[in-house]
Amino acid sequence: MSDRNDTALREAWTSPSGFPGWLSVVNNRPLGVRFMVTAFTFFLIGGVMALLMRIQLAVSENSFLGPEWYNRLFTMHGSTMMYLFSVPFLEGLALYVLPLLIGSRDVAYPRLTAFGYWTYLFGGLLFYASFLFGKVPDAGWFAYTPLSSSDYSGLGLDFWAVGLSLVEISGIVAAVEMIVTILKLRAPGMSLNRLPMFGWAMLAAGLMSLFAFTTLLVGTLMLELDRTAGTQFFNSRHGGTSLLWQHLFWFFGHPEVYIIFLPATGIVSMVVGTFARRLVGYTYIAVAILVTGFVSFGLWVHHMYTTGLPELSLGFFAAASLMIALASGVQVFAWIASLWGQRPALRSPLMFVLGFVFIFVLGGMTGVMVAIVPFDWQVHDTYFVVAHFHYVLIGGAVFPILAGVYYWLPKITGRMLLPWLGQLNFWLSFVGFNLTFFPMHIIGFLGMPRRVYTYSPGLGLDGYNLLATVGAFVLATGFAVLLIDVCYSLWHGKPAGNNPWGGVTLEWTVASPPPAYGFWELPIVNQRLPGETTPETPEGPASLARKPADQSPAQRAGSAQRANPAQRAVAALRGQPTQWRATLNSDVLTAAPQSIQYLPGPSYYPLLVAVGLVIALVAVLAKVYLVGLVGLAIAGLAIGGWLWPETQRIEQLRDSPLVADAGLPTLVSGRQSLGWWGMVCLLAILGTGLLAMLYAYFYIRLYSPQWPQEGLPRPDWLPFGIAYGLLLLTAPALAWAGHAYRHQRSNQIQFALTTVVLLTAAFLATSLHALVQYGVSPQQTAYGSLVALLSAYPWLLALVGLALVGAAQRQLWREAAVDDPFAASQLQIVSLYGYFVIVAGVLVFLTLVVPL
Amino acid sequence: MQATHPLRLILSWQCAAGLLTLTGCQGQRTQSALHPAGPAAAAIAQLWWILLTVLGLYALAVFALTLMAIFRRGSKPLNASTHHASSQAARFPGRRLILGGGVILPAMILVPLLLYSLSTTTQLRMQESGLTIRVVGHRWWWEVEYPEQGIVTANQLTIPVGQPVRLELTSADVIHSFWVPQLHGKMDLIPGKQTAFWLQADQPGTYRGQCAEYCGLQHAHMAFEVIALPPAEFVAWLNQTAPAASSATPRSDSLPADPFPLQDLAPESDGDAAQRGSRLFLKHGCGVCHAVAGSPAQGEVGPDLTLLADRRTIAAATLPNTPENLLKWLADPQAIKPGVNMPPTEATPEELRAIVAYLLSLDRQGGADERSE
Repeated sequence: MSDRNDTALREAWTSPSGFPGWLSVVNNRPLGVRFMVTAFTFFLIGGVMALLMRIQLAVSENSFLGPEWYNRLFTMHGSTMMYLFSVPFLEGLALYVLPLLIGSRDVAYPRLTAFGYWTYLFGGLLFYASFLFGKVPDAGWFAYTPLSSSDYSGLGLDFWAVGLSLVEISGIVAAVEMIVTILKLRAPGMSLNRLPMFGWAMLAAGLMSLFAFTTLLVGTLMLELDRTAGTQFFNSRHGGTSLLWQHLFWFFGHPEVYIIFLPATGIVSMVVGTFARRLVGYTYIAVAILVTGFVSFGLWVHHMYTTGLPELSLGFFAAASLMIALASGVQVFAWIASLWGQRPALRSPLMFVLGFVFIFVLGGMTGVMVAIVPFDWQVHDTYFVVAHFHYVLIGGAVFPILAGVYYWLPKITGRMLLPWLGQLNFWLSFVGFNLTFFPMHIIGFLGMPRRVYTYSPGLGLDGYNLLATVGAFVLATGFAVLLIDVCYSLWHGKPAGNNPWGGVTLEWTVASPPPAYGFWELPIVNQRLPGETTPETPEGPASLARKPADQSPAQRAGSAQRANPAQRAVAALRGQPTQWRATLNSDVLTAAPQSIQYLPGPSYYPLLVAVGLVIALVAVLAKVYLVGLVGLAIAGLAIGGWLWPETQRIEQLRDSPLVADAGLPTLVSGRQSLGWWGMVCLLAILGTGLLAMLYAYFYIRLYSPQWPQEGLPRPDWLPFGIAYGLLLLTAPALAWAGHAYRHQRSNQIQFALTTVVLLTAAFLATSLHALVQYGVSPQQTAYGSLVALLSAYPWLLALVGLALVGAAQRQLWREAAVDDPFAASQLQIVSLYGYFVIVAGVLVFLTLVVPL
Repeated sequence: MQATHPLRLILSWQCAAGLLTLTGCQGQRTQSALHPAGPAAAAIAQLWWILLTVLGLYALAVFALTLMAIFRRGSKPLNASTHHASSQAARFPGRRLILGGGVILPAMILVPLLLYSLSTTTQLRMQESGLTIRVVGHRWWWEVEYPEQGIVTANQLTIPVGQPVRLELTSADVIHSFWVPQLHGKMDLIPGKQTAFWLQADQPGTYRGQCAEYCGLQHAHMAFEVIALPPAEFVAWLNQTAPAASSATPRSDSLPADPFPLQDLAPESDGDAAQRGSRLFLKHGCGVCHAVAGSPAQGEVGPDLTLLADRRTIAAATLPNTPENLLKWLADPQAIKPGVNMPPTEATPEELRAIVAYLLSLDRQGGADERSE
């Protein structure tokens, strides 16, 4: 393989360097490194904050930090670790490793990944910009209302809400990326039951993120509306309720910790699989991961046991919270079974896995304890809980991350880390961690609540707090050792080679670091551990795809025709294409190749959209709303540029010789196309948003003595009915367009789509008029706020839909031939969106108007 | 509770172990959940020891298995460089371990635990009670009212030993949480909502409580005390306290037209320091925020001071209630609780001493201003 000439392929995939090219990079590996470096930087900053807090708490009635700064620090420490470190770091690691693991050259939506990075970076910077203005958020990382309302918190909370919104968008976008990449871009033969465990973990985390982050985004939006627009969602003086915030937040917050934990278990499975030379119970682990993800959405009330909820409800959530432990137990025992008797080498990655088992299991035990309602009544909001969640988060996420770093950094940098520094780091971290957090269980029992900047000397808390502070510095030293190790290895580390650990998954078949294109030749997989040798394939199964270099062209052509479709596709893409970037798009379940998937190259659009969004959100912060509209316009235009079909590119794809060589199309529609899957994910997101708003409506209604509140009138069914009726009529029009497309009647398609456009415009006008006429202020009651919010949602969706239909119409008008996968997929995607908007509108109409 | 003999032994061992590890003088443990002084906290503490034992043993078993997995030599030696190719094909040996240790054993532990916890929850249900206390959370103090007896105080609850006391909790601003670890778990105080709770102490004593829901700058200094008196003493306390308060103008009734007719105050050269202090109290505007029954001071922003002298602590249990501390607090509350709503009292040291004398006269027998009349 050293004699192959990969210059052309490398050029096609090389990212632009220098400035401003660096702003347009879309390759997954550079972006993955950016995510990890940025996230780790935030981690270090958050860690320093923790050390400052521990210094303040080392002795009672200390005056190192006053309440103002302490409260800001614990807020920023929690927010940084939870929002700016854990998920983004795992996202970065997955971006880097996952395509290699599944045998793909990149992820499904490279530009979307870049957009995700920029929104994450800007969100984090906005959080920290609050320091420049001296208005640092100080309401805790979960910002309970009414403390976080404008009555009790200043501009710092706006920085919090706005920064968080950007980070949430980044998380949602990353989720879509993971889901579609794992489902559609696996190498031929990697059926779903051969997916490496890290893939299952990221798939589950991605699916969970769609629902969890979107709910928080709705909640954050509602909080910011309360703070800046005078709505009353969370204000009990005007019909709202502060508990609504808690429900919305924790519906996100609990799955969030599993979104962090599951990828960490994925890392552990990969490391155990390599060091034990087997992973026992594959199906059990995969099922456990999916069950954990699903059940985690049914636990959130265990954060609210002390809010006076009914006993029955508490009991249900307690039962669910206990049962989820079983799924985690399956994973732990699968790892034990895998390691049993295998005498694994206790190298750095495995040491951190062992540390994870010890610490996480202890955290899981205290988790079971706090799941129990009466026990939680004592320890909720005390240092016992602080101990619990640090055990499960540092043990359950940071230690696996460190294991993953020691395991995969050699692949990323091509250099090994120093074994003895790894051991030193491990022991400092393990001992330091336990010294810091074990005493916290005790001081929780002794009566020390959370989030206190100091404590009374007469309660017996002093000694344990001092111990915890000492431990924190020991733990910090461990991280210092890691930094030294990484820096040293970058320059002087031993070259790692392709496979320093003897792993049998696909990332170990490429060079360290991998070339820009990843795989010269995509692998064909016919077993769960592709690198594992069997009697039939002494050189590994991938060798079946390789043709000896000394075959004549005729021989090669002949054998290409005799080869199966996967072999033919893989052979055609060997070192190809060089004028554009591509990988293979395959079936969701069986991974049979379906098309040659074009992947976009460098682009500035993702950055522009992110910048537009930031401008809009900062305008909200600074209360210059006109500038906000400018920001939205920039973002909108940039999205338009991003999605605008590149006609030349489409021509090139249609005429590519690879189609004949590979026996696969380059353009597909329907469930085969990535665009379809992206739209389905988008609809899951938009649907979750709608459900969150409907939840808010019915929740507030449940606790209102009178509905509508204060005897206000309901929206009148006639004007609203006309408006939503017009929207409903777009359904048959869309169906007509689809029908006309299938029968290739281009005139009818145009008529149908024009009808959709006109009806949508009419809906926009009439529903706005109806709302204005209805006249109930969103600022006086929670009811008014809810009506306005629920009405605005389908309205904005329809506005965007108008643009989408217009664009599809233009594309179909330009295309002479109606029978074209690209045009078909445009129409399908737009129709999916359109039907969704109609359903959303109908649900909103029924909710607001029907007097039940 | 019906416990089998071995379980009782384990529990008592655990209790002994627990006491050994956490023994300290009572004064050091007035906020300890593991030194229960009431039935609710005792039930929860017992639950804790069971949880610790059962889950601790399970965790130790997992650790032992993990160490064995790492260090045990397998029965078949494996070639280190190749993989066990039949690991997928064979029914893997670990299935029993995975299901047994990860599902069946935990389920056998968790289901009984769940049932036991449900039974404890039932034990902790609201009790019938003859005494109701209303607590309203403020930033950063506790408004305490005995509605049926007309007693209004702050930051201190007095309850009888051996009887459940009903609490009605709400908040005037943000969410707080009422927590007296030696007596019960905690219950949130939520604005716009009323949560019901109960407390019972089975031994006389003073139990410290603290706000357990972050409520802003001085959340750390929002504590209170619960004083449990033997029944006879409690009745005496009630009888002594109620008249002083019942002569008070009920809260939120109409205020006097001009509560501080400064021009009508007698000159400050009258003899008794406390008498003088009561006038200075009004002159310096303390009555704008604080109420004292039977005086023109009817403020509702800060704690009611009618019974201040009967309180063991001031500033929401931040400082003991002594003349020195009162002086310090009045002179500059911000030095003790930065961010608190109370401004410094702009008065000369001599005037401050007079005000403190007045405050120290505000007890069950009525204030200095009333007694002199």
